[in-house]
Amino acid sequence: MGEVFVITSGKGGVGKTTTTANIGTGLASAGKKVVLVDADIGLRNLDVVLGLENRIVFDIVDVTSGNCRLRQALIKDKRLEGLHLLPAAQTKDKTAVSPDQMRTLCTELKKEFDYVVIDCPAGIEQGFRNAIAGADKAIVVTTPEVSAVRDADRIIGLLEAAELRDPKLIINRIRPKMVRQGDMMSIEDIIDILAVDLIGVIPEDEMIVITTNRGEPVVLDQHSRSGQAYRNINRRILGEEVPMMSMEEDGFFKKLRKIIGLN
Amino acid sequence: MAYSRGNSHSDILSGFGQGLPLDQEDLVDENTILVQRTLRSGQSIRYNGNVVVLGDVNPGAEISAAGNVIVMGALRGVVHAGAGGDEKAVVLAFKLQPTQLRISNHITRPPDNETPDADHPEMARIRDGVVTIEVFQTGLNDRAGVGK
Amino acid sequence: MLEFLTKLFGRDSGSKNVAKERLRLVLVHDRTSISPHILEALKADMIQVISNYMLIDETNLEVSLDSSGNTVALVANIPVKGMKRASGA
Repeated sequence: MGEVFVITSGKGGVGKTTTTANIGTGLASAGKKVVLVDADIGLRNLDVVLGLENRIVFDIVDVTSGNCRLRQALIKDKRLEGLHLLPAAQTKDKTAVSPDQMRTLCTELKKEFDYVVIDCPAGIEQGFRNAIAGADKAIVVTTPEVSAVRDADRIIGLLEAAELRDPKLIINRIRPKMVRQGDMMSIEDIIDILAVDLIGVIPEDEMIVITTNRGEPVVLDQHSRSGQAYRNINRRILGEEVPMMSMEEDGFFKKLRKIIGLN
Repeated sequence: MAYSRGNSHSDILSGFGQGLPLDQEDLVDENTILVQRTLRSGQSIRYNGNVVVLGDVNPGAEISAAGNVIVMGALRGVVHAGAGGDEKAVVLAFKLQPTQLRISNHITRPPDNETPDADHPEMARIRDGVVTIEVFQTGLNDRAGVGK
Repeated sequence: MLEFLTKLFGRDSGSKNVAKERLRLVLVHDRTSISPHILEALKADMIQVISNYMLIDETNLEVSLDSSGNTVALVANIPVKGMKRASGA
């Protein structure tokens, strides 16, 4: 029996879809059977991030409304054997699926896959309620901005009200230099405010843009820091103890600070 | 043939008819809708006949037609011609770069790692059981052949 | 020059403290948004408890959450009509 994770954030644009793609891809490259579910009906994107957009024939609404069988709608990834995508519908809206249908769908998927990872739409309306309906665990993504943290706090409250306790937090797009300068909230600051467990920190990285352009999740890139950060998150999901990655770049000033003993 | 050449309307039809497995008589009678706008992501057209778009079809938009699909612009979304099973249906576009192209029950997509660079009109149809894409010629020579 | 140095060595408090403080304030408000339903239930419970000791005017009772600065207080305005005789003790 598999586990259902929902990746959510409240605010849009903080990296839910990127995170979903990278967690799914990472778990699949670790040999797990994974299905990614795009619950952002009407604004589907997960297919593009994975580079699978031209293989879609049926979507989640076709499945829940009985137009096709679940198996027909699942798209096999072009790189990884164990990875599948259930795409969102693009020409429908969020009301095309109900929370009950999502629960049934998740139950079905759990029988076949080790991990079901749901990409939740932004907002707290029906799309959000649908996405979390069948989830066992939640991962909240935020960035070190006042607006994103505030929305994450709201989402954590709503998740708790929906009996999804102890969500795990991912802090995305951290800029170590700005944190050092005191111009960006640090990991500690955010944890202090949200009071939830941290499962990973992703540094701001141009490779995210480049890999998304190519439709290849950054987690497959062995050299990038963000790819490493996602690999660490995946190992933690798989139950390993992995220390948090240092956010310091070993630049000149860091060495200088070390030498003169300021750190 | 039923068409007299001389107005622009029949020019388009005759050019289109060149070498195509289309019965021109039928084309006149068949249902055709003219979509006079660009179809954006999330928008879809489903029609039990031919669909002509005067605009682009963006990624994320869908056209499903029982008959032929003609796009007077860039076709970048998903297109399905002959959705009712018509193997003779064609898809024609000024820039044919669909996310996915379906004719009848054939489903194709552009090959991976290849950026299509269609800067001339192209036409997709089924030949010997496979979807093929060919350059669509609109030269005078081609049209001249139609009236025979 | 001093500013440059403090920036360079990360000793400046910077804009993140402003962000953190603002966020703290906003969340205090966000988190205390309490549904009218719960407020009604709280009111009923309070009336029950207080009625053990005092006679109160239930119709003019007001309960609300007040926030000023970075603190939030539960404010109850309960008109007392009289004391109950101490029973037993």
